[in-house]
Amino acid sequence: MITILLIPVVTAIICYLLKGHRLTGYVSMAGSLLLALASIPVIRDAFSSGISEAGLLYMDGLSAYIMSLVIFLGIASAIYSIHYIDHELHVGLIDKDGIRRYYGLFHLFVFTMLLVTVSNNLALMWIAIEATTIVSAVLIGLGYTKRPMAIEAAWKYIILCTVGITFALLGTFITYYASISVRGTEGILNWTELRKVAPGLNPSTMKLVFIFVLVGYGTKAGLAPLHNWLPDAHSEAPSPISALLSGILLNTAFYGIMRFLSIVEPSTGSLFTGNLLILFGLISMGISSVFILVQENYKRLLAYSSIEHMGIISLGTGIGGPFALYGALLHILNHSIAKPLMFFASGMIQAHYGSTRIDRVKGVLSRLPFLGTLTFLGALSLAGSPPFNIFISEFTILKAGADKGLWPVVGAFLVFVVVVFYGILSGFSRILFGNSETETQGLRIEGSGAVLQRIVMFVMAAVVLILGIWIPDFIDSAIWSGVRSILGEGVR
Amino acid sequence: MKNWIEVFSIVDFVSVGILLTAVALNGMRRLESSVKAYAVNSWLLSALIGIVAFMIGEFHLYAASLVTFISKGVVIPIFLRKIVREMKVTHEVEPYISNALSLTISGLLVAIVYASLKEGIFITGFSRNVLQISLAVILIGLFTMITRRKAITQVIGLLFMENGLFLAGFSLTYGMPMIIELGVLFDMLMGIIILGIFAVQIKRAFASSDLDKLTILKG
Repeated sequence: MITILLIPVVTAIICYLLKGHRLTGYVSMAGSLLLALASIPVIRDAFSSGISEAGLLYMDGLSAYIMSLVIFLGIASAIYSIHYIDHELHVGLIDKDGIRRYYGLFHLFVFTMLLVTVSNNLALMWIAIEATTIVSAVLIGLGYTKRPMAIEAAWKYIILCTVGITFALLGTFITYYASISVRGTEGILNWTELRKVAPGLNPSTMKLVFIFVLVGYGTKAGLAPLHNWLPDAHSEAPSPISALLSGILLNTAFYGIMRFLSIVEPSTGSLFTGNLLILFGLISMGISSVFILVQENYKRLLAYSSIEHMGIISLGTGIGGPFALYGALLHILNHSIAKPLMFFASGMIQAHYGSTRIDRVKGVLSRLPFLGTLTFLGALSLAGSPPFNIFISEFTILKAGADKGLWPVVGAFLVFVVVVFYGILSGFSRILFGNSETETQGLRIEGSGAVLQRIVMFVMAAVVLILGIWIPDFIDSAIWSGVRSILGEGVR
Repeated sequence: MKNWIEVFSIVDFVSVGILLTAVALNGMRRLESSVKAYAVNSWLLSALIGIVAFMIGEFHLYAASLVTFISKGVVIPIFLRKIVREMKVTHEVEPYISNALSLTISGLLVAIVYASLKEGIFITGFSRNVLQISLAVILIGLFTMITRRKAITQVIGLLFMENGLFLAGFSLTYGMPMIIELGVLFDMLMGIIILGIFAVQIKRAFASSDLDKLTILKG
């Protein structure tokens, strides 16, 4: 486990020290591939049983699940970055120092997210989540001399998330306090130990804990009405970073909520936590669906779609029970493949057309057939249309809600999903179809970086399609292992 | 000595001092004095931790007190003062609402906290007032962030919130394990440094340190 944490740090240092920018890109790619190789045995062990290390670290099915997503997207983004950064350098948006800083911070960012997933200690988890904010804020603000909007976005992001997450720390302190009165002597912060004493914790204290944690990590996970930073940060960040922010950072914050959920639920009962999560989920879906309808900027549209999908995940977690949680975890996987694909595609569209405004971009499908097709597939998937992966997980959550007889929730869910379906498809059909009158800037497409970029996007699009038709056994058992870590052993 | 601390309720005195510096922040007109208020607030926080360490004789609390003093009482204030000078801001805080009104509101916040936690679930070991005060400081910090225009005042509001949070955590738990406390402080320090750098960049990019100018991104 320590090796897994060390690899991205070492990669970050090497990338920062290297001089040649093309070389740095390939070193960063090699670093993330090495990380994947080193992590495979550990992740496989963690899916079958929990592993503790050094008192502060712990891995079980849920952490292994989120961790594999972090590593997978780390590889995808690192590969995509090579050509993206090349292009940014070409058009003068970033300089050579900026590139070194970019790759260094990129791997530090991956490291902080990995640390979130392996923390057993709740305060260490808080430290790691706060560290993701700090590192990614610098990444968003990178190259600000050319783009004043980026610094506005980064400022909003760091202020709002730090204030929000402060409440989560208060929640963590209160958890520690609650554990003192159970244990009598020293308080505990280790999730594994807290979980054993969870039924004995004072319910009213734990209710307070959950509210603070939900507000705190919910801000970071982009749950409305605390989402204001998200569209700015996601639309202004460099596209590979947008992909990481949206695809996995939101999920690591939500992972924090899930960890607390399994401590809080035994003492307060699932009604309290479930209703709060459902409420936040529905508000997120409602607010984002309205903004998706009126959005004029396709990167912001994708950002609002992230809020909607985090809402769905929160809703699924709130409905509770093995099948809803299965749906929520599957949705995490589906969203964190489809959304980065779209951010990758939009980064390329932006490079070609030089704008992120929907009305300035037309005819992507006829002018750039390969990119256009992938964007079209991704948009269909994000909108939740069958036979793509997001449809399956949305349907699973919906069915779990219906099984529990939560008809008002199911009804509201359907309304919002339909609005979002229309909003996303109408937004993207305006940029995909039609004849392009605007001159494209003409992207330099030679070089192996561009080929790798296309391969990555093609693979992700293929995964989006395949997961809609068939869920392989290893993913299925991984998700069940994650469900078991939330609900306790004995589920299936 | 220990009796002496209890007889004169020194703990309460110090924590009331923490509250007063937070309230005084609302009445300040100059950025430099806000930074000073923060420094005093941190010194009092560190002193409180030190006094409690003396009362219960915990070694690691002395260390916590020292670390708090160095990071929050010395490093961050010096850094903030440097930023304020580098930005050459007009030194005026320029709040959205008048100082009198914001003082009144922060008084009300204190009252609300006391009223709502009157018979709370929290019985803390060394003082009955510390938790209320810490929550009041958190709320006042938040209130300052909402009502001030300058980028630096938002950072100071955030810092006051974090001091309040540390106080709350301390009163609930008698201090977290040392490694955790160091990690939290490190995160905070990094965050403040990056905010400071951004504040200078905002000043350069928008030719103003007013956050009113940050309105390009909407909807």
